[in-house]
Amino acid sequence: MNARPLMRLRLTTAATQVIGPTPHGTLSIFPITGGTFEGERLRGTVLGGGDWVTAAADGTFELDLRVTLETDDGALIHMTFTGVRDDANHYFRTLPRFETAAPKYEFLNRLLAIGIGEVHPNGPVHAIEEIL
Amino acid sequence: MNTRLLMTLRVTVATPQSIGAVPHGTRRTAPLIGGEFEGPRLRGSVLPQGSADWLLLRADGVLELDLRATLRTDDGALISMRSFGLRHGPPDVMAAMSRGEAVDPTAYYFRTTPRFETAHPAYAFLNHLVTIATGDRRPEGPIYTIHEVL
Repeated sequence: MNARPLMRLRLTTAATQVIGPTPHGTLSIFPITGGTFEGERLRGTVLGGGDWVTAAADGTFELDLRVTLETDDGALIHMTFTGVRDDANHYFRTLPRFETAAPKYEFLNRLLAIGIGEVHPNGPVHAIEEIL
Repeated sequence: MNTRLLMTLRVTVATPQSIGAVPHGTRRTAPLIGGEFEGPRLRGSVLPQGSADWLLLRADGVLELDLRATLRTDDGALISMRSFGLRHGPPDVMAAMSRGEAVDPTAYYFRTTPRFETAHPAYAFLNHLVTIATGDRRPEGPIYTIHEVL
């Protein structure tokens, strides 16, 4: 598969809200308070959002994130991803999607992407690549 | 990004059901009436009932695909597959595809992101995989080459 870098996304999070055991697993909400993103074609800051994380009985996590990105030239981008975090196997992969009304960034509406996640003390970092 | 081949999936599509203009675009549902898949770690067939691709043509010309299929491996395991995707390309290419002509798959963008669920221990690895697929829309139905994201 061919891909090319889209952005490196750094997220900062607030204290986790543990909803607890639900019919689908143990649900925790990671509020996202900010962050930055940078790539050749776009860069800016994260306005906020959250990641709804469900822990399965086998120790893996299903991720369901929504954030708003603001580019350095003022465009707003709605970003979501679903994904998997499996710490036992060092596997942290996501499927980001984007929606924007800004003509300059309209290409984001037409692409699929893969995120390679890393856990850092200050919050997760996602290396996001466009699937070509 | 490192990937490895998971499977090649060929599905057979019945006549689509045209739902028509809906608030988010133009909706069609394409029932899948069969197919087969094959890869290094699993192979089998697509169950002919309960599988379909729910298609939404957006106002910007991009087709959103929402495929759900039940797979049965050659050793009897059932696997539920769900896959979101996008398809778009130059107007002449997409028009040729609509007419049922064979089109070079490199002439348009057709990518999907399959996820799998199974209760069968031999295939439990599928539950935690993120995968991406390239599609080739043939007149008889699409062929997906699905890669595991490593």
